[in-house]
Amino acid sequence: MASTFSFELIVKPDRCFRLGRIICWRNKERKVMSTPNFLAYTVRGSVPHLTPDNLREIPVEALEIPLENFLDIQPPPSSLYPHGAHKFFNFEDFMLFFDIRDPGEFKKASFNTDKIVSVSTLQGVCKITSDTYVKYINSYNPDAVISLADMTTFEKTPGLKRIKKSVNRTLDWLDYALANIKEGIQVFGAVVGHNNHEERIRSAQETANKNVAGFLLNGHGLGATSRERLDLLKISINNLPNDKPRIAYGFENPVDILRGIFEGIDIFDGSYPSKKTEEGNALIFTLENEEFISDDTEKSLLLYLHDEKYKTDFRPLLSSCKCYACRNHTRAYIHHLLRTREMLATVLLMSHNLYHYTQFFKKIREHIEKNRFITFVDQFCQRYDDTCESKTIYQIQ
Amino acid sequence: KSALTWEIVAQCSRTKARVAKLKLPHGVVDTPVFMPVGTQGTLKGLTVKQLEDLDCQIMLNNTYHLGLRPGKEVLEEIGGAHEFQNWKRNLLTDSGGFQMVSLLKLACITEGGVEFQSPHDGSKMLLTPEHSISLQNSIGADIIMQLDDVVSSLTTGPRVEEAMLRSIRWLDRCIIAHKKPESQNLFAIIQGGLDVNLRRRCIEEMKKRETPGYAIGGLSGGEEKDIFWRIVTLCTDLLPKTKPIYCMGVGYTEDLIVCSALGVDMYDCVFPTRTARFGNALTSKGTLNLKTSKFSQDFRPIEEDCDCLTCKTFTRAYIHIHSTRETVGCHLITIHNVSYQLRLMRNIRQAIIENRFPSFIIQSFKDLFDSVDKYPKWAVNALNSVNINLTSESKNP
Ligand SMILES: [Zn+2]
Ligand SMILES: [Zn+2]
Repeated sequence: MASTFSFELIVKPDRCFRLGRIICWRNKERKVMSTPNFLAYTVRGSVPHLTPDNLREIPVEALEIPLENFLDIQPPPSSLYPHGAHKFFNFEDFMLFFDIRDPGEFKKASFNTDKIVSVSTLQGVCKITSDTYVKYINSYNPDAVISLADMTTFEKTPGLKRIKKSVNRTLDWLDYALANIKEGIQVFGAVVGHNNHEERIRSAQETANKNVAGFLLNGHGLGATSRERLDLLKISINNLPNDKPRIAYGFENPVDILRGIFEGIDIFDGSYPSKKTEEGNALIFTLENEEFISDDTEKSLLLYLHDEKYKTDFRPLLSSCKCYACRNHTRAYIHHLLRTREMLATVLLMSHNLYHYTQFFKKIREHIEKNRFITFVDQFCQRYDDTCESKTIYQIQ
Repeated sequence: KSALTWEIVAQCSRTKARVAKLKLPHGVVDTPVFMPVGTQGTLKGLTVKQLEDLDCQIMLNNTYHLGLRPGKEVLEEIGGAHEFQNWKRNLLTDSGGFQMVSLLKLACITEGGVEFQSPHDGSKMLLTPEHSISLQNSIGADIIMQLDDVVSSLTTGPRVEEAMLRSIRWLDRCIIAHKKPESQNLFAIIQGGLDVNLRRRCIEEMKKRETPGYAIGGLSGGEEKDIFWRIVTLCTDLLPKTKPIYCMGVGYTEDLIVCSALGVDMYDCVFPTRTARFGNALTSKGTLNLKTSKFSQDFRPIEEDCDCLTCKTFTRAYIHIHSTRETVGCHLITIHNVSYQLRLMRNIRQAIIENRFPSFIIQSFKDLFDSVDKYPKWAVNALNSVNINLTSESKNP
């Protein structure tokens, strides 16, 4: 099976942020993922609440499947399906990434050893070795896989010895993956090093020396504030080559996403729209500088649809939105569905939230292309920073 | 006055089955028809687009539930339940009485109406025939039902006669209260329990009221199936042939086939959609519980010859992973089950039109049951009454 995978930088201004494109050829099919972008979040192999016809209405380009969702039975029955994950999950139109852990949930599991990574499954914590991981990935046959990482996320204050060990293990597992993952599946290397600057640099440089397709920066558990976390990730980014894509986990809100992009991150985990959906929130942040609509949506990132005030609000979630929910339904109806605990509530909210998220990234790419990104970030952060968890002031260097 | 037209297209030459075109304000309904139940203004997580794709021509909403939430005022403000849920096709609403009696323990019936405690503040309230119709007028369904005095089909003695007579009196009050006979069709509900004479008297009286259609009420409450079908066939014999007949609460495959042979035109039942939630998929060979682990490696679709989105896209193994944990699993089974019911009715109609309904019945029972001695006795008897000898005809194909 012939396959190629390439990352092209389309616009690379003199700053860190960039506009790019991953092109992936497999089985004579070409898939493109424009960056900055996100990997749509899946749970047990589906985008939460969305059947394939509803997902098709949303211009998602890539998806991520956490393997731990399936490890309650080993080997996972779905890995025995002879035609691979794309077909089994009906994700043939998307670029498909696999990782071991769920980037949205990131539940605490027990400690890892040199041979074993602990993961969280329906049956509780379970352990997986790097050769079983590789074996399962080879049968799922996705477009790309994130190599195993020895994360120190749940360890209170890992000492230097522990951090060094985590860097070494992660590099060992990467070597194993690079040697054993079958051809055609791209391997992304995980960059670790916790809060130790030297180790972050070492992890980044050594990973960069290997034949990886790109990098994963996991922000979970790093830093007390999102600014601190980004500063730690920045140490890694500064030691990564420019010509390969960088994925990051744990960026929760659009302001943080913009800051992450500003520092050179290309791809984010897509758990944010799902989390907001479960809360009953619709994403409504504006995507145009000029289009600051003057109604109750002004200055808020979200619309909390449980609120009684939407009982007779017959407007769509967001009047400028072209998603299925906004084209067909009102806030009042979605409020009703939430109150009556009807499943259509999350179907419609997820349709909107995921669609809106794709449009957010599309706008970001447009702004980079038209050399307006810094202005956009500045205005967006000024407008919404108060509403984000992080109150740190955005600074352009 | 009536807001429907009823045109018989084909009549089975052996049984009492018939195919008709029922023209309602929101489009044509081909009968015999199964009407899926969307209790609270939504059908179990399916979008209206999905229901349209399944070619669902009419859906049920429950008056009691819509009256509580979103409530009469909201519905009036937006212009009815069609607008509220953006459903462009036909709707039918029940009177609310049955739900009240079955859901609220403290409901009791007086000549005035159904007396009950408000689930909100515990105050005493009364659902009168006038209230029910006024609420149904606000909801705006194409077919609305009279408030009837519901007694359990297991009740015997003078209470059954009282309920029957009261239902006639309430029908008169409903007819007077009905404000929109030009756009909404009020159906009478035949009562009289399992007593043939009471049923006769009820039909005689209700026929005089010349409502646009008739429902057979007070059945499917746990009575002997052998009595159930005798009441159904008595009603279809005595009711005018020029109007649609609706048998309430019927939805199992064999019941739909038998009752269609007895001359019933319309059905509703929560079963196909409710059972999906528990992982049960309906097939012409019986029900599959996709939660059970034997499906974890079953890479076939639910039904090979089903053309629904679920069967075209996913394997049983995929649905097994999702069956009760993710809403997507529920949506996929619901799509299949609704598709199954609508396809069954389409096949029944096609068989009647092509005058091969008897052989269709024989084949369906063969598929559904392992052997002739497993055929339900009541179905054999019922079909015998319309000139089909299920047992002997099954043996000589
Ligand atoms: Zn929208
Ligand atoms: Zn199907």
